[in-house]
Amino acid sequence: MSAVPNKMPFDPGRAAYVTLNVVLLGFLLAPIAIVLVFAFNPTPYISFPPVGVSLRWFDKFFASSDFMNALWLSLWIAACVLVLAVVIGGACALALARGNLPGRGFFTAFFMSPLMLPAILTGLALFQSYLLVGIGRPVWGLIMAHTLIAVPYVLRTTLAVLHNFDRRIEEAAAVLGASPLRVFFEVTLPLIRPGVFAGGVFAFIVSFDQFPVSLFLVVPKGETLPVVLFNYMKFDLDGAIAAASMVSILLALAVVLVLERLIGLKAYVKL
Amino acid sequence: MISRRNALKTSAGFAAAATVGAPSILHAQTATLKITTWGGKWGDIMKATVLPAFEKEHKCTVSADQAFPFLPKLQASKKNDPLYDVFHTNSNEQWSALTEGLVMDKFTTKEVPNIADVYPYAVSDKIVGVTIFTSAIGLGYRTDKGLTPPKSWKDLADPKLAGQRGGYLIPVNSLGQCHLMMLGKVYGRGLQDLDAAYKALEQLKPIKLVDFTGQMEKMLLSAEVSEGVIHDSGVYRYEGANRQPVDFCSPTEGVMALEQVLNVPPGSKLKELAYAYIDYMLRPDVQKLLAEAVWYSPANRKVKLSEKYDAKLLTTPERVATLIQPDWKWYNARKDDIDARVTKILKG
Repeated sequence: MSAVPNKMPFDPGRAAYVTLNVVLLGFLLAPIAIVLVFAFNPTPYISFPPVGVSLRWFDKFFASSDFMNALWLSLWIAACVLVLAVVIGGACALALARGNLPGRGFFTAFFMSPLMLPAILTGLALFQSYLLVGIGRPVWGLIMAHTLIAVPYVLRTTLAVLHNFDRRIEEAAAVLGASPLRVFFEVTLPLIRPGVFAGGVFAFIVSFDQFPVSLFLVVPKGETLPVVLFNYMKFDLDGAIAAASMVSILLALAVVLVLERLIGLKAYVKL
Repeated sequence: MISRRNALKTSAGFAAAATVGAPSILHAQTATLKITTWGGKWGDIMKATVLPAFEKEHKCTVSADQAFPFLPKLQASKKNDPLYDVFHTNSNEQWSALTEGLVMDKFTTKEVPNIADVYPYAVSDKIVGVTIFTSAIGLGYRTDKGLTPPKSWKDLADPKLAGQRGGYLIPVNSLGQCHLMMLGKVYGRGLQDLDAAYKALEQLKPIKLVDFTGQMEKMLLSAEVSEGVIHDSGVYRYEGANRQPVDFCSPTEGVMALEQVLNVPPGSKLKELAYAYIDYMLRPDVQKLLAEAVWYSPANRKVKLSEKYDAKLLTTPERVATLIQPDWKWYNARKDDIDARVTKILKG
C-alpha cells in the first residue's frame, strides 16, 4: 500500500505575506532595474525601451576626470565621516544612556535635530557661517557638515543597542577586577558593535549620497559626486548619469557586504 | 665663530623651509580669479582651452565654479569679499543681483576695451554688465513626426500637440519667463500684457515642463515631445555628425534673446584682472572658438565665423535686429506674483 503524500493546505495568510514582500521588493528594486537598463542603453538620451546593450556610458564615466575625482573625493569624505560619526555618535549615545544626565530627553532631541531640518537649510547656514568667520569652504568644513547630518544615525542605532544591553555583564567584569577602560573595550564595545557599525554604514551612505548640504560647501575641482551629477544633468542628460548611479549603488552594496562579513550585521537585526 | 657644521645645518634648515614654504609663497604671488561658468560642452572648452590660455597670458589661476546655484552663493557671501570676481549668468539673474548691489551696472571701454566692438544689444539699457554671447529663443521641433514646421509662436498651441509640447518651470527658468512674456506680445498688447499671457498659457495645457534647456534638448531628441520652446543653440549643436531629426524655427513674431552676461561684483579684490577676463572673452578669436563649439551668437561684431555657423547664427545687424530683449527689471519686480499665478495655472 503506497503512502498518501502530505499535501500542505493552502495558507492564504502566508500567501498574502509573500505577495506583499514581493510587491515591496519590486517597488524598492524597480527604480534600480530601470537605471540599469538606461546605463546599458547606447542612445545619447534617456529613453525606453532600450535599443541595444553598450558599455559606452561606463567608459565615459570612468574616463572622465571630473567624475573620477568626484567619486574618490566622495568616498574619502564618506570614510572620514564614518569614523567621526561613529566616535561622536557612539560617545553621545553612551553619555545619554549611562550618564544620568539632567534633561536627557532634550539632549537626545538636540542631537537628533539635524535630521529634522531640511538639509539644504543646514548647508546654506553652514556656508554663511564659514564665510562669516572667514574660513572659506575647506574640505574639512564639508566633512564636518556631513558628520553633523550623519551623527544622528549612529546615535539612534547605538541607543537602540544600549537599551537592550544587559549591564550585569559589565558589572561582572568590573567585580572581577577589570578597569572601566578595559570593561568598555573588552565587554561593552564588542556587544554594542553591531549597532555602532550599523549606524556607521548609514553614516557612510548618507555622506556618500549627500547632496543638499554639499551644494553650497563644495569648491571648484572639489565637488562631490552627487553635485557633479546634478550639474551634469543640467546640460547632458544621457546614460552617463545612469552609469554613475549604478556605480554608486554597487559601491554602497559592497560596503554593506564587507561590513556584514566583518562584523555580522545580522546580529544587530536580531536585537 | 660659526663652525662649518653649524653653517651647513643652518643652510639645510633654510633650504627645507624654502622647499616646504615654496608652494604657499608661489600661491601668495599668483592671483586666483574666481568665476562662474556653465558645464557641458561650454565647460569642457573653457577648462581645456580658454581658461588655460588666459591663465598663461595673465600669470594667474582661474577657479571656475560650475556648481549651481550661483546667485544664492553670491548673495550669502560678504559684499566686500564676494565669492566670485566674475559673475556669469543670464540677464534675469544679473538684474536681480544689481538690485541687491552685488554686481556693477555698466562697463566702459576704459575697463573693457573690446566693448567698443560689440553689437548694441550687448550693452543696451536692458543689460547689466556686458553680453558676451546670445542665443535666440524660438521653437524646436521633430522633423520625423509628420508635423507642419511651425512658423508662429501660436503654432505651439496646435491641439494636435496636446501632451507632445514642451515648456519650462517658469519660476526657475529664464526661457520659460521669456516665453510667458512672448505670449503677452503674441496674444495681447505686448510683452507686459500678463493677463493675455496667462490666458494663452492655459491653452497650452497639457504641456511637459522641465527646469533647464539641456533637459528640453533631451526631450526633443527622445521624442518625448514633438515641439518645445528652446534656444537655437540647443538644436543647432546636433548638426553634422551628431545629426538628429530636430530643427529650429525662428517664429515670425520675433525671437527672445537669451544672453550670456558677464559682470563684476563691486567688492571684488581683483577688479583689474576681472575686467581683463571680460575683455579676453570678447576677443574675436575667443568668441569664434566658443561660438563654434556651442553654437552661440557672438556679441563682438568683428567675429568671422565659419560658413556653416555664419549661415544660422545671429552674425549680421539685420539678424541681430530680430532679437527681442525683455525688460528683466520690470519682470523681476513682479516675479513673486507671476510665479504664484503660473504655478496655479500649470500646477508645476
